[in-house]
Amino acid sequence: MRDVHVAGAGMIRFGKYPADVTLEAMGVQAARNAMADSGASPTDLEAVYVGHVFGGPVAGQRISTRLGLAGKPVSNHENYCSSGATALREAWVAIGAGLYDVALVIGVEKMTDRISGGVRPDPNDLDAAVGFIFAAGHALSARRYMADHGATREQIAMVAVKNHAHSTGNQYAQYQTRISLEEVLSARPIAEPLGLLDCSPISDGAAAVIVASTAGLRRLGISHAPRVAGCGLVSGTVQMGLPDVNEEDVSRRAGEEAYRLAGIGPRDIDVVEMHDCFTIAEIVRLEGLGLLPRGRGAALTAAGHTSLGGALPVNPSGGLLSRGHPVGATGAAQVCELFWQLTDRAGARQVDGAKVGLAYCKGGSVSGTDGASVTTIVMTR
Amino acid sequence: MTAMSFRPDVFSADPPTLLGSSCKQCARKAFPPREVCPGCGATSDAEPVPLATEGRIYSFTVVRQAPAGLRTPYVLGYVDLPADEVRVLSRIEGLPPERVEIGLPVRLAARPAEHADAGVEMFVFRHTTQEVGP
Repeated sequence: MRDVHVAGAGMIRFGKYPADVTLEAMGVQAARNAMADSGASPTDLEAVYVGHVFGGPVAGQRISTRLGLAGKPVSNHENYCSSGATALREAWVAIGAGLYDVALVIGVEKMTDRISGGVRPDPNDLDAAVGFIFAAGHALSARRYMADHGATREQIAMVAVKNHAHSTGNQYAQYQTRISLEEVLSARPIAEPLGLLDCSPISDGAAAVIVASTAGLRRLGISHAPRVAGCGLVSGTVQMGLPDVNEEDVSRRAGEEAYRLAGIGPRDIDVVEMHDCFTIAEIVRLEGLGLLPRGRGAALTAAGHTSLGGALPVNPSGGLLSRGHPVGATGAAQVCELFWQLTDRAGARQVDGAKVGLAYCKGGSVSGTDGASVTTIVMTR
Repeated sequence: MTAMSFRPDVFSADPPTLLGSSCKQCARKAFPPREVCPGCGATSDAEPVPLATEGRIYSFTVVRQAPAGLRTPYVLGYVDLPADEVRVLSRIEGLPPERVEIGLPVRLAARPAEHADAGVEMFVFRHTTQEVGP
């Protein structure tokens, strides 16, 4: 397939917006920021891919119409928290196949006026019927991780401390202040052992990127741009027998898919944008991807291995925990961050010399499986 | 009045029974029941089979905050049924949340389903003092 590049990126700050800041307005603003960043005009854009979960029917067309893109091919992509990354992957496929040269990808979500108390599976799913919420699933993972690997509650909490510290350098982050270990440990319990600060917030926001072929870059007058080297997508498998709940086979398979497509291995990765919807999730998913040894992720986090300046910086943006988690926007925001990291535009949170980045999203759950959708995007300088 | 199940496809309430699939080809059991065996890929239209009622807590959490419609706190856990090699996500009751532990023996029971008509029951695992082996 042809080379595919990210030609520009744009976001709005994630956070809690009033009701009159609509989903459409947020998506339009992020798209305009990405278009300005790449120099793309509406006539340059041949297709629009929009990821969202709670935006309702044809949200992508509602946004595109306001951008002057009515009439172009617009599609909406729902893969729960992987929706934005799935939209990016579809654009990558189409441009790689030669169908288009320049496309717009938007991830957008308005949650604070329609979601409260946490997100959960579809009501028809058996797990939802017995009271499963995503925070509970990760609490079950954390409890078992501590029992199996001797990890401490404090080590797991350090994921939140680290990611909040990183976000102090990110103008687009919902939170831009440090938090202490003591604050994480004493926060209101949500699903024990996890407390409020172990959980990513319910957020509004939007992020967008312009994706282009080499010919598309020329059209935009751009001489060089980071490449999308591979976009993996897998779904969870039905779990048989009594496996380790933290085996993360779904992450392993998603990682191998991305490594194969990009022609790299886990050792080549310099920076990671990880789906830290909950503190423990960052740890076990990094292990599943082969980026940290099994059972060692919590201790390595506490030792600074995944901090800015450490051996493998994870979530320089602040991650979901601190940048915020408007679920359909998150995958697009991760790609924005990798774009800025790979073009030395990340400012105070820049990972020096980063040449290869990986963005990971996991969305949803289906009873009896190890997940619903996992995306893995490798980008190179 | 006969107790009704909140999900008759996976649970019958009287006596409390979880329904799983049992593959005719490889004999693996699965919960919830699967039309395609996750072990060998064989398709099956066989009737579900009753699963063992005794298990052990593999992991658990005390849920303190949940969306509207779920009364907190409640204990949610993975229960392993060693006899069937099946894991079930379930409410856990029968002891205070602070006394729940990994490895505790539990037994299947029925309890009223929340936000359902009177007489509609869901499954639950309750702590027992009887050891479940191995």
